[in-house]
Amino acid sequence: MPGKTKAIQQKAAVSEPPSLQERTMSVYAVIFYLLAVLILTAAGFAVTRRNAVHAVCGLIVSFLGTALLFYLLGAPFLAAMEVIIYAGAIMVLFLFIIMTMKVEADGDRSRPRVRRWAFPLVIGAVSLTAITILVWVGPENRLPLQTAMAAPSAFGTVLFRRYWPAVEIACFLLFVALVGVLYLGRAGPKEDQSFPEKNP
Amino acid sequence: MIVPYDHILILAVLLFLTGAACVVARRTLIMILIGVEIMLNAAGIALVGGSLKWGVLGGQVFVIFIMAVAAAEVAVGLALIVHSHRRSGSVEADHYHLMKG
Amino acid sequence: MKTVLLLLMLFPLMGAALNALLGRYLTRRGVAAVACAAVLGALAMAVAAMVNTTAITRDIRLFDWFSVDGFQAVMNVHYDHLAAVMALMITFVSSVIHLYSVSFMREDEGIIRYFCYLNLFVFAMLVIALADNLIFVFLGWEGVGFCSYVLIGFWYSDEAKAAAGRKAFLLTRIGDAAFGVALGLFFLIFKDLSISHIVARTSLLSLGTATLLGLLLLWAAVGKSAQLPLLVWLPDAMAGPSPVSALIHAATMVTAGVYLLMRLFPILILSPAALMCTAIVGTLTALFGSFAALVQSDIKRVLAYSTISQVGYMLLAVGVADIVGGMFHLLSHAFFKSLLFLAAGCIIQALAGEHNIFRMGNLRRHLPGVSLLFLAGCLCLGTFPLLGGYFSKDRILLATFVHSGELSKVLWVIGMAAAFLTSLYTFRLYFIAFQDRPDGRKKDEFLQIPGFMSWVLYPLALTALFDGLLNLPGGFGKLFLGRYLASVPGSIVEVHATAREIWGMRIGSAALSLGGMVSAYFLWRRKSEEPALRGLRQVLFTGFYLDIFYERVIARPYNRIAGLLWTDIDEGGLDRGSEKIGGGFQRLSQGLRLWTTGRLSTYLRMLFLGFAALLCLLSLSWYIQ
Repeated sequence: MPGKTKAIQQKAAVSEPPSLQERTMSVYAVIFYLLAVLILTAAGFAVTRRNAVHAVCGLIVSFLGTALLFYLLGAPFLAAMEVIIYAGAIMVLFLFIIMTMKVEADGDRSRPRVRRWAFPLVIGAVSLTAITILVWVGPENRLPLQTAMAAPSAFGTVLFRRYWPAVEIACFLLFVALVGVLYLGRAGPKEDQSFPEKNP
Repeated sequence: MIVPYDHILILAVLLFLTGAACVVARRTLIMILIGVEIMLNAAGIALVGGSLKWGVLGGQVFVIFIMAVAAAEVAVGLALIVHSHRRSGSVEADHYHLMKG
Repeated sequence: MKTVLLLLMLFPLMGAALNALLGRYLTRRGVAAVACAAVLGALAMAVAAMVNTTAITRDIRLFDWFSVDGFQAVMNVHYDHLAAVMALMITFVSSVIHLYSVSFMREDEGIIRYFCYLNLFVFAMLVIALADNLIFVFLGWEGVGFCSYVLIGFWYSDEAKAAAGRKAFLLTRIGDAAFGVALGLFFLIFKDLSISHIVARTSLLSLGTATLLGLLLLWAAVGKSAQLPLLVWLPDAMAGPSPVSALIHAATMVTAGVYLLMRLFPILILSPAALMCTAIVGTLTALFGSFAALVQSDIKRVLAYSTISQVGYMLLAVGVADIVGGMFHLLSHAFFKSLLFLAAGCIIQALAGEHNIFRMGNLRRHLPGVSLLFLAGCLCLGTFPLLGGYFSKDRILLATFVHSGELSKVLWVIGMAAAFLTSLYTFRLYFIAFQDRPDGRKKDEFLQIPGFMSWVLYPLALTALFDGLLNLPGGFGKLFLGRYLASVPGSIVEVHATAREIWGMRIGSAALSLGGMVSAYFLWRRKSEEPALRGLRQVLFTGFYLDIFYERVIARPYNRIAGLLWTDIDEGGLDRGSEKIGGGFQRLSQGLRLWTTGRLSTYLRMLFLGFAALLCLLSLSWYIQ
């Protein structure tokens, strides 16, 4: 890390051992990298499972990691929300649906693994290269971030003072989603005429 | 001092590409939705990092809205999947090709 | 006076318009009645105008047509005695022809079209006769060209007839080009296109310009009047109905060229070269026509070549500066030639479309009235002494003889030879077609034709036979026409010659005419089969191969080039090119169509791909900056 290098150089110039603060800074970095590995591995696990339940479980782990990451990056409220909403509600919903519908264990037997993953991997590599180039250009991105913590009260104040219209709209959106789900979930497949029939 | 913002972005990008790969490579509708969730999460990570970098709370506020919208979207999406599964018995994405031109 | 002249021109135009717009609601009789009433009304107006006018010339402004930068086209009328005579002749002959047509076209389907165009033609011809402004004349000029195209190709479902109409139009067009150039020159020099102004200010012209203008006008006349070398359209134009041939190719359109030269004579007279050319062209054409008429077997083609020959005489008259002689012959020719054509029409209808004279015969016995009329016409055409054409042709030959210069004598000799040939072929035609032959037509082969068709011709015959009275030569003292036309610039009342020359000419013409008649009698009285076309006979039959020459040298290569341009460039290149482009687009869209599989996975892939492409683009652009 450039910051650390610079500090070490400064220290070397003055010939003093690295201070506690500087060493403590690097702890956060280590935590960050560990969390990054966790998140990515869990996500990778999630996308490659045949069994959908396994995939969801992997995803939950990934989200928990993300929550910890949020906390590290100074958003405790968001960390809590991540766990409650994302891991707790959305993934549970997924599990409900998967188990209720008795989805086949593997719906992807159409093509061999390698062929399936070739296209996304290639395109992904290309995109990664492109984005890396884009990200790496600006010198201001190289500085390590300072830690900070956003107090929930401050967060709440900002949310409901500056962004209250968006809050209202989001509530409305959730309401609409509720109504839609209720409607779609009704019984009676015979009323709809515009679907491809069973056993095509 | 944590990591530079670069690294957070790279993490977010890798997570996003994982989600995108899941969307493209998996054929079941449920797996596609999972991929979408991963992507949304990645966006959230990038936003929180940016919020920390510039010291503005707007990034975090955005993330909470993303979560709200993701919740709504997943709910409706799953309802649609259930509905169409009832009608046609398949959760394959390629099964629905009436819009073929 | 202005009203009279306006009505004179408008009656035929209104008749045409009425028939064109409302013809389908009228009965056949109604259509014919409208047309005939229009022309008879015009005749009445022509008579009224001639009687009413006391002045020598009248210039009357009718209508402002258009005006551009410094140039004004006005529809004016220059009504002098020449125009008066011409208008009267046109309306009189047209009336007879219209009345005749009522019977002739009694069973034809296109009767509305026929009468509409016939009236339109009369209007256009009257415009040529009366107009003062040269652009107005040009309007009439093109009008008669167009109407002749339509009327010659009247039965257009026959490809050959339609082609004949087209040929006539194209060849007269070549002459019209010269007229256009002359118009431009007139405007350049005189800044004004009014005939009356031009003839008053001919002093502005240098000799070279006058010669050029004279030659251009001569070329225009050559096209319109079917003289050498643009005469190949007239024999083919016999594809039209006989009344059309009578109107267009006897009385009016072919005389339009000669008439124009007479109107603009003060310009011609400034240039001896132009006059000489006119005389030469006229004479050679007269000879050419006579030779060709000598071997034809189609009755109308004989008359066609005869017209070519006689108009040559009129041109010769203009060339030797005798306008009165030319006009006199124009009138005589109009009367007897239209008589001949109309009588030929009666015969053709009676024999159910037979044109070949070698398949006629016995006509004198079975169609007595028509035979008599035809005989009257033949006597006039053959310049039988004391009848119609004798006095007019005699005057022309006399004028040629007394004209100064060696060339005139040569032309006179040729003219006399042509006169002999005229008499010869005329009576050849009569004897082969009309005399009694053992293998001629039997009584039951004749169809019944309406009596009206021949009754209408009797007044015309009388006019033809006695038209010599119009201008009895100086010895007998009348000179009606000559004195009437004295006010026309450039005209001579009486040709000045010694009494010996005059009487010599008269007796000589009479001798030639009678000699031709007698020779024809002995040569062709009992001729019944058509002789084979070989050698000299074939040369004359095809008109000295002139038509074939034009076709081989000009028409065929042009057609080939046009065909090439059509198939290879237009159809092959442009059409196929645009088809290929369209096909290319179609194939492109078919290819693109493969993308719309309707499957979600494809669309998701495409989204991902687009996302990657966008990122690449962004990063590259960042690098390039």
